[in-house]
Amino acid sequence: MYKKENYNKGKNGEEKALEFLLKKGFGLIEMNYENKIGEIDLIMTDKDWLVFVEVKLKVGDKFGTPEEMINKKKLSQIKRVAESYLVLEKKKIKRFEKFRIDAVCMVTDEGKEILRINHYENVYV
Amino acid sequence: MLTKILSMANVGLKSERVEVEVNVAKKGFPGFNIVGLNGKSVDETRERVKTAIINSDIEFPTAKITVNLAPADLTKDGSAYDLPVAMGIITAIGEINLPKDKAYFYGELSLDGSLHHTKGVFLLALLAKEEGVKNIFIPRMSANEASVIEGVNVYPVDNLKNLIRHLRDEKIISALKPIDITEVLNDITPEFDFSEILGQNQAKRALEIAAAGGHNIFMMGPPGSGKTMLARAMAGILPNLTEKESLEVTKIYSLTGNIPPGGSLIRQRPFRAPHHTTSQIGLIGGGSNPHPGEISLAHRGVLFCDEFPEFSRNALEALRQPLEDGYVCISRAAGSLTFPAQFMLVAAANPCPCGHLGDPKKECKCSAHQILNYQKKLSGPIMDRIDLHLTVPAVDVNNLMIDKEKASGEKSVEIKKRVIEARKIQSERFKKLGHIHSNSDMKNSHLKEFVKLSGEANLLLKQAVNKFALSARSYFRLIKVSRTIADLENCEIIKEFHVAEALQYRTREIS
Repeated sequence: MYKKENYNKGKNGEEKALEFLLKKGFGLIEMNYENKIGEIDLIMTDKDWLVFVEVKLKVGDKFGTPEEMINKKKLSQIKRVAESYLVLEKKKIKRFEKFRIDAVCMVTDEGKEILRINHYENVYV
Repeated sequence: MLTKILSMANVGLKSERVEVEVNVAKKGFPGFNIVGLNGKSVDETRERVKTAIINSDIEFPTAKITVNLAPADLTKDGSAYDLPVAMGIITAIGEINLPKDKAYFYGELSLDGSLHHTKGVFLLALLAKEEGVKNIFIPRMSANEASVIEGVNVYPVDNLKNLIRHLRDEKIISALKPIDITEVLNDITPEFDFSEILGQNQAKRALEIAAAGGHNIFMMGPPGSGKTMLARAMAGILPNLTEKESLEVTKIYSLTGNIPPGGSLIRQRPFRAPHHTTSQIGLIGGGSNPHPGEISLAHRGVLFCDEFPEFSRNALEALRQPLEDGYVCISRAAGSLTFPAQFMLVAAANPCPCGHLGDPKKECKCSAHQILNYQKKLSGPIMDRIDLHLTVPAVDVNNLMIDKEKASGEKSVEIKKRVIEARKIQSERFKKLGHIHSNSDMKNSHLKEFVKLSGEANLLLKQAVNKFALSARSYFRLIKVSRTIADLENCEIIKEFHVAEALQYRTREIS
């Protein structure tokens, strides 16, 4: 029951992030990509970059910021999935030479109204 | 924005300036990282600083914060970097401006933004003086340690909020008034007074000599004869530390965090009584990040080893070099450090496992083999380094009955007066030699200059050396003890009976 709720919340967040990035001029390749290693929320293009996007949504700021929830472990997990994606989907993305991982962090209130949305480029260091 | 704050790191007893560089970048993914060869407690600084800043009503920046502790090749540990890191962040986000004059920041933060007592503040003040930095900001609980150093403005900080107000010129924290170094603290009454111990006059006399000259002493006797009581009472006849000695001791105590909150200079001579299960490293010092041991904590004071043969063989043998040299050099992969260890060894032991060997009233139940094994634990080289050997006989309990009127002995205060007089003569004698404070510290080369023997005394010494086959070390130690006995009587020249008395404390060789 609760899991379903969280799933919907995440789905909602990803849609909002997608909307936000499309407005910025990004192009969509895959949404909720999943393979045996893990999943990536959004895979997009930004000019000649291929961008793997992690979306984090928090309802209210009582339990910390969404930025805090993306730690080293999460990032390296995303990197592993991204690398496997590059190998598995070689044909689809062969025109790209530059890759990066971005994060979109947003905070909403109880009524799903967005309080803030931030986009961080190249977060994997 | 980038800011630089000054702080300190300790390598053994040496302090080094550390620059805490804090960069708060609005670009990039937010995070908080500290680099610069940090130990575990510096890693945890992040959590304390973050919470303390938030609880001081300042918004913690959502930005990429990078902290570097330079020089980056020097290992840093401890909680003292909390304050400089917090100040760096608050300055970098433009909440405050740093003072124009260079200043050191040092201290551990509590989650609510107040500052805890932090070890090593005394060394910080010394470093500030040496480097010509005028101002230091430190926790109020530790500020008394620093206030004895002249020429440094010590700002005691209660919490982060007050410090921010001070730096914004809203509410100034006034610098501490320097404490006069020569101010004598009240004497602390020891556990036992010598007047409580009945009889044992020879032991009392020997302890007085030991205290007066800083000589090592070894007491052997059956259980219950008062060895431990005598040793503990000895703390009460030791003279207070001189100014110079006090600075040396305070340095070690500040480094190891042995100064209580609010404490200042150590004026009482250290009296350390480690348990006999103490490891070699606990006693001598060491560890991968070398730390001073009990012998360094007993520097300029007394190291009391009760149940001496029960100590591990390794620990005892490791005492040899420091006993001779007055310092200990600890070498590890990380580096080599020297700690001072000029202590006076007071050891107590039973003559055999059951404890009654040589007791006229009780029979010893040990086999010859057991006795041999027990006494074998105390090696010759160690015993040779002990100047005064003493037998403490069992006391007649009939004299101690509580319903009996006691003829109380001499009070510790009286004995202490004589000890102080003797020490005065010694410090006058060694005035021009910086590192020597008492007769036992004398190197053999000093003996010619400072020791004058009368003709008869010289003759007696020669006879003793030949008759008892004394080692060279014993010979020199014998002279040093004679010098102290003569000092107690304020005699410039050592007489025959001074040597004779010193000789009777070398029972190991002459019996």
